[in-house]
Order: sequence, then structure tokens, then C-alpha cells
Amino acid sequence: FHPSGKQGSKTMNRKKGDKGFEICINNINFQRKSVVGYVELTIFPTVANLNRIKLNSKQCRIYRVRVNDLEAAFIYNDPTLEVCHHESKQRNLNYFSNAYAAAVSAVDPDAGNGELCIKVPSELWKHVDELKVLKVHINFSLDQPKGGLHFVVPNMEGSMAERGAHVFSCGYQNSTRFWFPCVDSYSELCTWKLEYTVDAAMVAVSNGDLVETVYTHDMRKKTFHYMLTIPTAASNISLAIGPFEILVDPYMHEVTHFCLPQLLPLLKHTTSYLHEVFEFYEEILTCRYPYSCFKTVFIDEAYVEVAAYASMSIFSTNLLHSAMIIDETPLTRRCLAQALAQQFFGCFISRMSWSDEWVLKGISGYIYGLWMKKTFGVNEYRHWIKQELDQIVAYELKTGGVLLHPIFGGGKEKDNPASHLHFSIKHPHTLSWEYYTMFQCKAHLVMRLIENRISMEFMLQVFNKLLSLASTASSQKFQSHMWSQMLVSTSGFLKSISNVSGKDIQPLIKQWVDQSGVVKFYGSFAFNRKRNVLELEIKQDYTSPGTQKYVGPLKVTVQELDGSFNHTLQIEENSLKHDIPCHSKSRRNKKKKIPLMNGEEVDMDLSAMDADSPLLWIRIDPDMSVLRKVEFEQSDFMWQYQLRYERDVVAQEEAILALEKFPTPASRLALTDILEQEQCFYRVRMMACFCLAKIANSMVSTWTGPPAMKSLFTRMFCCKTCPNIVKTNNFMNFQSYFLQKTMPVAMALLRDVHNLCPKEVLMFILDLIKYNDNRKNKFSDNYYRAELIDALANSVTPAVSVNNEVRTLDNLNPDVRLILEEITRFLNMEKLLPSYRHTITVSCLKAIRVLQKNGHVPSDPALFKSYAEYGHFIDVRIAALDAVVDYTKVDRSYEELQWLLTMVQNDPVPYIRHKILDMLTKNPPFTKNMESPLCNEALVDQLWKLMNSGTSHDWRLRCGAVDLYFTLFGLSRPSCLPLPELGLVLNLKEKKAVLNPTIIPESVVNNQEPVNSTNNHGQSVGFQNTFSNSQEEEEIDMDTVHDSQAFIYHHLNMLERPSTPGMSKFIGKMICSMPLHSIKHLLTPPISVLSGKEQSSGEVNMHPVSAAPLSVFSKESNSSKHSDHHHHHHHEHKKKKKKHKHKHKHKHKHDSKEKEKDPFAFSNSPASARSIRSPSLSD
Amino acid sequence: MRTALYGSKMADTATGGSGTRPGGKQASTPADNYYLARRRTLQVVVSSLLTEAGFESAEKAAVETLTEMLQSYISEMGRSAKSYCEHTARTQPTLSDIVVTLVEMGFNVETLPAYAKRSQRMVITAPPVTNQPVTPKALTAGQNKPHPSHIPSHFPEFPDPHTYIKTPTYREPVSDYQVLREKAASQRRDVERALTRFMAKTGETQSLFKDDVSTFPLIAARPFTVPYLTALLPSELEMQQMEETDSSEQDDQTDTENLPLHMSTDDSGPEKENASVLQQNTSLSGSRNGEENMIDNPYLRPVKKPKIRRKK
Repeated sequence: FHPSGKQGSKTMNRKKGDKGFEICINNINFQRKSVVGYVELTIFPTVANLNRIKLNSKQCRIYRVRVNDLEAAFIYNDPTLEVCHHESKQRNLNYFSNAYAAAVSAVDPDAGNGELCIKVPSELWKHVDELKVLKVHINFSLDQPKGGLHFVVPNMEGSMAERGAHVFSCGYQNSTRFWFPCVDSYSELCTWKLEYTVDAAMVAVSNGDLVETVYTHDMRKKTFHYMLTIPTAASNISLAIGPFEILVDPYMHEVTHFCLPQLLPLLKHTTSYLHEVFEFYEEILTCRYPYSCFKTVFIDEAYVEVAAYASMSIFSTNLLHSAMIIDETPLTRRCLAQALAQQFFGCFISRMSWSDEWVLKGISGYIYGLWMKKTFGVNEYRHWIKQELDQIVAYELKTGGVLLHPIFGGGKEKDNPASHLHFSIKHPHTLSWEYYTMFQCKAHLVMRLIENRISMEFMLQVFNKLLSLASTASSQKFQSHMWSQMLVSTSGFLKSISNVSGKDIQPLIKQWVDQSGVVKFYGSFAFNRKRNVLELEIKQDYTSPGTQKYVGPLKVTVQELDGSFNHTLQIEENSLKHDIPCHSKSRRNKKKKIPLMNGEEVDMDLSAMDADSPLLWIRIDPDMSVLRKVEFEQSDFMWQYQLRYERDVVAQEEAILALEKFPTPASRLALTDILEQEQCFYRVRMMACFCLAKIANSMVSTWTGPPAMKSLFTRMFCCKTCPNIVKTNNFMNFQSYFLQKTMPVAMALLRDVHNLCPKEVLMFILDLIKYNDNRKNKFSDNYYRAELIDALANSVTPAVSVNNEVRTLDNLNPDVRLILEEITRFLNMEKLLPSYRHTITVSCLKAIRVLQKNGHVPSDPALFKSYAEYGHFIDVRIAALDAVVDYTKVDRSYEELQWLLTMVQNDPVPYIRHKILDMLTKNPPFTKNMESPLCNEALVDQLWKLMNSGTSHDWRLRCGAVDLYFTLFGLSRPSCLPLPELGLVLNLKEKKAVLNPTIIPESVVNNQEPVNSTNNHGQSVGFQNTFSNSQEEEEIDMDTVHDSQAFIYHHLNMLERPSTPGMSKFIGKMICSMPLHSIKHLLTPPISVLSGKEQSSGEVNMHPVSAAPLSVFSKESNSSKHSDHHHHHHHEHKKKKKKHKHKHKHKHKHDSKEKEKDPFAFSNSPASARSIRSPSLSD
Repeated sequence: MRTALYGSKMADTATGGSGTRPGGKQASTPADNYYLARRRTLQVVVSSLLTEAGFESAEKAAVETLTEMLQSYISEMGRSAKSYCEHTARTQPTLSDIVVTLVEMGFNVETLPAYAKRSQRMVITAPPVTNQPVTPKALTAGQNKPHPSHIPSHFPEFPDPHTYIKTPTYREPVSDYQVLREKAASQRRDVERALTRFMAKTGETQSLFKDDVSTFPLIAARPFTVPYLTALLPSELEMQQMEETDSSEQDDQTDTENLPLHMSTDDSGPEKENASVLQQNTSLSGSRNGEENMIDNPYLRPVKKPKIRRKK
């Protein structure tokens, strides 16, 4: 019966009534953080035997379910609450990831699954068979939700409204099930009726049109009635309730902005620009904004900065700013524009399935890019594209690739498209957050590639077509089955492209969408004077992880004396060399102007050139029409010409990066010239500052004149009459503002021959701080001052320490004393006159950590911990937490790591919880190939619990925990776990233990004596090794092998005693059958080693290892990386032995511990038996 | 003798008038004498003011009441002036203390000189008790200024000239840019340093060095209940600065005035069932914004009263 029920519910999910969904939340209690309400959904059965309805629901307490007013039975089962029920010894991430993916699949609404299964009362079966409407009414409540709905209740006097208490929905991808039962899918559309009864002083903002607001009978509350007639997926439903201030957009009265009390002036300024974004999108898409209204809500403790939902967006309140703030303005505008782009693609047009997500993210990202180009200019746009490209390239090369359009065939593990990753990409909820960010980045870059191929005009036509089809569909009744037009699929999108443009973009899609990886080009050239030909050699690396082979056209631009010429090379399988004929003869007319790509003609000083060659510079793929990394070799003078004369900012930035390797006076001159040139893009100039600092440091012995940039800064920003005093601030010119901010930061990186920051530079920066005067400035100088503190921090060099003396005030370096003086004053002034977003506090905390790290100030996390507490501004908390994370790593502090992990579990702000894991992953206290005192069993247990069951309320957090676990312990069994005392090897491929019948148990006994001797040998070697470095250690392979052998034998020996005869025989055979290298593997996680002592049979222990981790296991265990890992492991043991001398005793102790635990495991076994049948493992 | 006589008479009137002052018969202590003399003078003042205002006669009770009022007014003035002067750590009130007092009491000080010099004013004879305080001669310097015509001669003399005469100095003001900037910078730095050190001394601190808490005292980090407010809102200083440097923001300010109006219409909504009134209201504010169309935003509409038949 079950399959048919499933089938039925699946069709149910596909077909929902046009009346659709009704949510009514009639009580929201801020004090108790609880919500009470009901939902009512109307279902049109499309198959006769629908007897079960599956819905998504998490956290909600469900009181009562009625179907057409008849009480209905229901079952609630959420396998994601605890991913692995039984598996307590293994601690194998590979296993976890598979189990987690299975658990998510088991409740995936797109597959017709859900946590809540409602049985249709048998009285209604006949009714259903006639395909008549079903109304499902569910009463639910939500008590102290940990995810999905976030309450912010400041702890102070006054009513909830006076306190600014508010609540809002949040989460990553489809997270609506966290706050009401629904079909939590992006592809299940229905219309919505939403009702919220809230305190009279509060406002409830939700999707669709506010129809009316009605007081309750006691006049103390009001009910907001919303109606959303455009078919919308449950995942795009949102809610925000709070004592919001209301601002009707003065330009567009359908648009309403909401912010928390007291922030109205900021809201006015921040949103004053939004109408221009609206105009832009409507114009390029030639389509009106699809909803009849739009709402922006700015809330505190946001989950993400921008969250887009149907007809409303929820923003972080920290995006609000006044007119005095420069730096935040473009950032906030970008967020607004992003949110609006997602209204069209993401909210109005939803996706068919998860594998179509890239189309939505791609289109919204792409049109957002167009808006960037229009608003901030082509330079900013190209700079951004380059930045995004660099990011995705770096990420793919690091992790092995991002796949936009994963196709999952019937067979599961064999064609897992992302076996290089430590998580499954089958569901959005199993994705690492970083991967998802990069996924979005790649999606919009690929859209840009498509644009390159079919032209922007066609591209916009395609979008218009998608939108107009969708808006026609949205006005239709449900029965017309038109609503699927509102869902975009990859194939539909591609069809649309080929219909509109008539072009075949299949190869492009195949390369970038259906396949992961980027291209890595290495280019070099030679000029053949005789033939007047440029011989270009382009090599590719397509064997490293994250790379792919590129075949197809590649544009190369050659700037010659006579002009700039584009060549399209055909990159093919075997051709590396390409001959490009040159147009100019070298150096004929010296005085002639040189035409550039953009038609401009310039005079150049050609004296630096190679007299024989007409080539000024060469660029490979200048338009970034391949997702690639290019490493190109050309001489320094060519890079210098490129920097000075090429007008493309990307080329200039590439040249700057390349010049780092050429510390010559010519490079210095080129960079200085760029710095001074006002027409040059400010970001290029900023970049030139840092490059100049690097070059100056490389040239330190030959450097002449004042420190780099000093005279330039003086000329640009200091008084004419008194050059040591900076002008009073005037930030009207943003370009020079950014330059003024950056130059001191770069200058502070200068070092003299002793590798110290020159005194002159430090004094210069201190003077900038001293004479800083913002009284006449229209803008706030908080970012500028913050960067001056960053500059001070940059000037710090490691303290010269004599015999590990304790850092005290008396031996404080006088320069550091001056720096500390400033930091103290700044940090204290922040308490009295706080700066915008507390930028100065943030910089001060960072600087203090730098001083600690460099040994000038005693390393101590106490200060940071106090700033990291709840109640500080989020930026400050993150800066402080970052310092604690760094401290944890440098000082290997277990206490601080525990403190951080406690915060991950308990902090009220979801973003902080996520960020701590993120920072720990980026700056880990240790990694899988590293020995650390922090790496112990308790930590493994703790993290395992965290990802297994502690983070079930937040997809993003759980994936963050998985990322951290991966960074610390790798995919396989964490090396710090004690060795299982009984070796039973399972051949996971065949799902059974393999015995070698030729080997008899006696061999174990025979081997006993020699083993003991090698054991001693190993000990002595280990002792010598402590004085050698780790490299040497790794070379001694044999010893470690013997050592581990001894270890195993020892344990086997111990186990010989009590276990069932069958068991010991079993083990003995198995050990002996293995060659040496596999014995090494025996000690490592991928091999499941089970304790059979207390178990009556091996069978019980077999099942936790499901079919899941097979493929990865076999790969992992063979990789060389892992054998390195084993070396470490063994050495650890050696050290232990050395320390305790009585290793055996130690192990005995351990055994007894295991014994204590084991009965527990045994009693658990019925549960584990159940887990076989649980959806996380079966399916 | 005469004073005593006066005094007893005064005492009589006082007891007769208000009955608040028992034991007036034994008006023999000097304090009481002063009191009665002042009271008498005040009565004269009140009478003369009444005459000046055109009254020909007045009931005794009315004069008494007015006198009482004048007395409490003057007492309050004295009390307040004393507070102001003590607030600035002085013992002798100065003119500015009086001025501030008067302003505080709602008196327009600027009208005072003209009033004092009015033509029809009456000069009141010196109060009979004149135990003038003796100024120690040794401390006087220079020639005291004589009273101007409108001040009665029995009023105290002007203080020594050095207390109010200004002596202009002719040193060149510092106009050198560099010195000015230097001065401004170090002044600000000193103030900031002193202020933060003071704050650190008086409150909780944190330290970067375990062995030393005073050299680089950091004011302890204290969490806020609503952290985003301090982080996002410009400080008063910055607001001031913004007003000074920028006038284009003024447009916005008029806008802000409009907004409470929206809000208030929203609040007062339940009382007004009539939507058209509201629409007029919003259109009014709309036109003030310089826009022609009316703002019809659902969030500005009035909240409806519950319908009786509506059942939950």
C-alpha cells in the first residue's frame, strides 16, 4: 500500500488548488517566544487512491489535523533531527554525509516526501476517488523556535513595542517548514491567504497585498489580512512582525519600507535610491514588476544581509546608513539591487527542481551585474567580474569543482557528480555555505558567457519571454495547468535561448553547466623576427583537481607599435603553439603615436622596448569569456606598458600583480605614475599602492629617496605650507578619499633593511592620526580613522624576544608604546562617541591581536571574549571572535575552543553561530594532517554531536559543522580516536567481511615474539626522532609500520581471552591476510573495526555501515594523502610510549573504559536495528 | 525708637492681615526689625506701583497679598541666583546669575533697562534700617563708579572697577596655520586623553598587561541592550556637524515632519471610520510633498473596527 500512497501524495504535491493555502497565526508571544496558529490547505486529488498526504514540518507542535472536518491521524518523523542514530564509534564523515543526504531525501518535498504524514480518514476515500477537493486543517504551535523564525527581544524595561522586539522568518533555501506545516518546495505553487493577529502597537509584514487591518474585539490587538493571488511557492513565504516605523516610498507609493524604531531618518536616506533600481530592471526586462506591491523590512540579527521573498525582502538593519557614510552606501545599494533582481527571478519565477537553481541565480546575478555596470560604470563592473572570476577559479582549484547542473541518475553513488566533495550536492540543504556562494558566483558568470555568445539583446529577450509567459500564467486559474510556466527549468531556459537567438549554445552549456571545473592556461611567447611572427604557446593543466580541458576559440589581443589587434585562436587537443603574424615592423617611426584598442592614440616612451620586437604587450582572453586562470609570461617592460597604456582595468590589475615579481626602478616609476594619474580607476590605484610597497621592500637596499608613497601622499593630501600636516578632511571626491584611506595602510607595510617598519613611516602615520580634523567635512571619517589604525597594525613587526621573557610594560618597544597609546585612546573614545558600525573598535581589536601575535603584548583572549559577548554590535563581535579563533590556533587553547563551540550552540544570533564555524574552518586550530593536543576524542564526540543532532534547526549551521569536521579530521575516521581494540575489517565494496581461508589463527601467536622486539626497536627510534624534524620522521616508514603492527598484535593478544572462539578466529585470519600497507589502513577510519567482545555475533555490527560510503571509501584509502596521515598517527603513539613507558597499562585502562561503554552500545542495538529501516539509511 | 514703632505697627498689620505671625508684639530682635523694615518697604513699593498703575485706593488685604507675592518673587529670585552662583563655585552672585534667574523665571530681561528708566517712576525713600556693611578698605582699588541717575543712592555701591573693567591686550592673535593646527590637534588630544582616562578611572577597566592596569587603561566593554542603535545612528556631534556643513538635507527634514503625520493618521485611525477624511489628510500631506497624486498605501489606511457578526 505504501508505494501507492506515496504516489498519491506526490501527485498531490504537483496539483494544489487555486484557493491554495491559508495561514492564520493568531497568537504571537514575544515573552515566551511562541506562536500559535493554524494552516488550511486545499488539495485537488489527481489520482484516485490518495490516502496519505505528506507535508513538511519541523519544530512545530501539531495539535490536531482535520481533513474536511474529520479528525485525521498523522505521523511525525523527521530523520534529519538525528542523522546517524546508532553509529557511535565510526565518526566517519563520509558515512555521515551519505546518511545526511539520505535523510534530507527522505523528507524532500520534490520527491513527494515530508516529515508529516497525514492519513486521509477512510470515510473520505470514496470522496477522493471521485477526485473531489480535500481541505486539510492543521492546528500547530511553535515554542522557542531555534530556526526558521527568529525572535529578537531586547532585555529591558517597557512593553514589547517600546523595546523594539520583533520576529521574522529566516533560513537558508526552503526553510518555511520551520514555522508552519507546508509543502516546502520551490516548485509547488499555490495562492495564499495570510492572517496575523499581533499587538496593536506592532505591524505584521508579509507577502502579497494587505487587504485590511482589523482590531480584535478587545481592541488590544489587530489582525493583518494578506492576500497573495500570484501563485507562489511556500518557500517564498515570509513574515516580519515588529513595532516598525513605516515609510511609503515617495516615488512609488506601492512600495513601503519598514525599519525598527528610531531609525526612520536612516531608512529614508537608504531607500531613497531604490526607485532607480526598479526603473532599471523594468526597462531592461521590458516588463513591469510582477507583484502589485513591494515591501522592504530592515531587521536586527539578520540571518543573511539580503533575503528575497514574494513581494517583500528582509534586510539586515545594519545596511541602513546616513548621508554622511561613504563606504556603506554602494554596498547597501548593491544589496537592494540584488534583492530586487531576485524578485523577478527567484520569487516570481521559481524553479522546477534544485538542479535548475543555477538558472535563477544566474539570471538574477546577471541582471544585477547589468545594473552594476550602469550604476557604477564599466570599470567597476569589469573589476567585479574579474574578482568573481578569480574567486570561483580559486575555489574550484581548491575543492575540485562547482557543478551548476547536477544530474542524478538512477544509480546513486556510482555517478555521484561531486565525489571530490565532502558533502552531497544533491540537495541544497547538504551544501557547504561557501560552495553555495561560489555556486551563485559561477551561475552569473556563466550567464555572462551565454550573453557573450548570443548577444545581450537576445539574452534580454529570453528573460522577457520567461517573464511574460509567467505573468500570463499567473493570472490563470489553477485548473488551466498553466502555472508550470512560472517554474523555470534548465531545458526550458535553453529551449528559450535557441528559439530566440537561433544559436546552439549546447557546447557552452556542456562545458560550464553540466560539468565542473575551470580552465588553467599557461602562456608564453617568442617573437620570430625573420618571419615577423609571434609564436604563442598556450598550455593547459587539466589534470589537477578542479580543472577541465578547454577546446574552442580563444581570443588573444596583441598590442603592437601600429595598433592593437585581436586574434581568435582555436584551442585544440594537441596544438600548443600558435603563430600570429605581426602587423608592424619593429621600431621604424620613432615619433609616431601609437593607436590603442579604444582608438585613442598616445605617445609612448619606447626606449624600454626590445628593439627587435614590435610587441608592446599581449593579453590572453581579455574579455574573460572563459572561466579560467591565465598565467602568462612576458617581460617586465611589457607589463609596465600594459599598466600604463592599456585602458582596461582588468589588464591594469593583471599588470600590477605581475609587476610584483619585477622589483626594478622602472616598475616603481610605472606604479607611481599610475598612482598619480587621476583618470585612472581608483581601485587600480589602490592596488598599485600595495604593489609599490612590495616592490619597495624587495628593493630595500637600493631604494633612493623618501619611503614609497610618502611624498605622493604629502603632495596630494597635505598642506602646501606645512607638509607634515594633513589637510582638514574633505571627502567630496570619493576617488581621492579611497586613495587617502589606502595609502597609509600600504605604506605601513614598508620595511627597512632590518625588516622593521621605518620610523619615518610610523611617525608619518601617527601624525596623520594626530592632525586628523573632520570638523569641516560633510562625511564621517570613521572608515578613514579605522584604516589609520589598520595602518598602525600593519607597521607592527615581530618583537625581538630574548629567552622567552615575559611581556611586560617595562620591556615594551617604544614604537609599540606609541601605537598602544593611540589604540587605547581610540578604543576608549569609541565608548563615548561611537563610530558608525563601530569600525574603529573593530580595527582596534584587530590591531591588539596583531600586537599579541607579534609578541609585544601578552597573548590573552580575555579582552576579545568580552567584546564577543551578545549585546555588542555584530561587526565588533565578529572581529573579537576572529581574534579568539586565532588565539585558539596559535596558543592551542582547548579552553577557548570549548568556549567557541559553546557559543556555536548557544548564541542567540544565528549569523554568529554560523560565522564562528566558518572562521574556525578558515583558520582551523589544527588540520587533519597535523598533530595537535587539541585533537582528542572528546572534541570528535562534541563536533559529531553538533552536526549529527545539535544543528538540526539550521541547515546552514549543520553544513558549517560538517565543513569544520572535514577540515579538522578529514573524510575518514579521525586519527585521534583511540584504536579500536578489535580489528574486524569489512570489505565495504561487497558489504561483508572477507576472510582469507588460507591463513590460520596460529600465525598470530607465532608472530608474537618478533613483534615485541620490533616494538622496542620502534621505541628507540622514536626517541631519536624527537630531535629531528618532522620531514625526517616521515621518511622512516618501516619503523612506523612495525610499530603499528606491534600495536595491533598486542591488542589481538588481549582479545584472545574472553571472546567467542569464532570471533577470535575470524580476526586472526583477517589480520594475517593483509599485506603491510593494509595493516596501516587497519588503523584508520575508512576501515570499520568493531569490537566483538560483548557482541554475540558479528551481524549486529554490520548494518551501521550502510551501502552509502562505498565509492569514496575505496578511493580515499588508496590516496597518498592518507598514508601521510598514518605516519603522523603512529608517531603519536610513539611519543605516548615514550612518555608513559607503560603503554600497555594505558591501553588496559582504555579497554576498561570501552567495556563500560559497550553495554550501552549493546542496549542500543534494537535502536540501531530500527535505523536500518529508517529512511536515512534505506531508500 | 522710630523703627521700633514702625515695627510694632507692621507687626500689627501682619497679624491682623494674615494671622500667620504670632508674637509680633515682642518685635525686639534685630532680625525681626530687618524683616519688618523690608516688609514695610515692599508695601511702599507695592503702593507706589499701584499708584503708578492708576489706582487711587486699595484695600489693605489686597496690598498685603500683593506684597506677599512680591516678596516670594524676590525670595525665589534670590534663592535661584544663589544656586546658580554656587553651581559655578562662587559665593557672591554676579549679574549673570541674576539674568539667568530672571530668564529661568520667564522674565524678559531685555525690557528691564527701559523699565528702570521710565519717566513716571517713583523714587522710594531709603529704608530706615541702614546698617551698611563695611567694606574693608584695604581691598578696595580704584575709584568706584557713581550710580547712574535711575538708581537710588541708598543702593549698594558699584564693586571695585577691576571686577568688571576689561583691559584690552594688543598681542597679535595666532594666525599661523601650522601653529593653529598644532594647537587644535594637541588640545583635542589632551581633552580626549583626559576624558578617557577619567572615564577609565571612574569605571571598570580592562588591561592588556596583567601586571599593570593603569598605563593603558581600557574602558571595559559593556554590552548594549539594543546594540544597533549606537552603531548606526550618527552621534549628536555628527548631526550638528552635518547641519553646519550641509544645507541640502533640509529638504529631507521637511519630509520627516510629514512622516509623523502619516503615523498619527494611522494611530488615530480607529476613531475615524470615515475614510474620506483620511484621504483628504493624506492628500494634503502629499501635496505638501509637492506631489500630485494621493498616497493610497494599505499601511496608511485606518485599522477597521471588528465586525460584530464576524465569528472566529
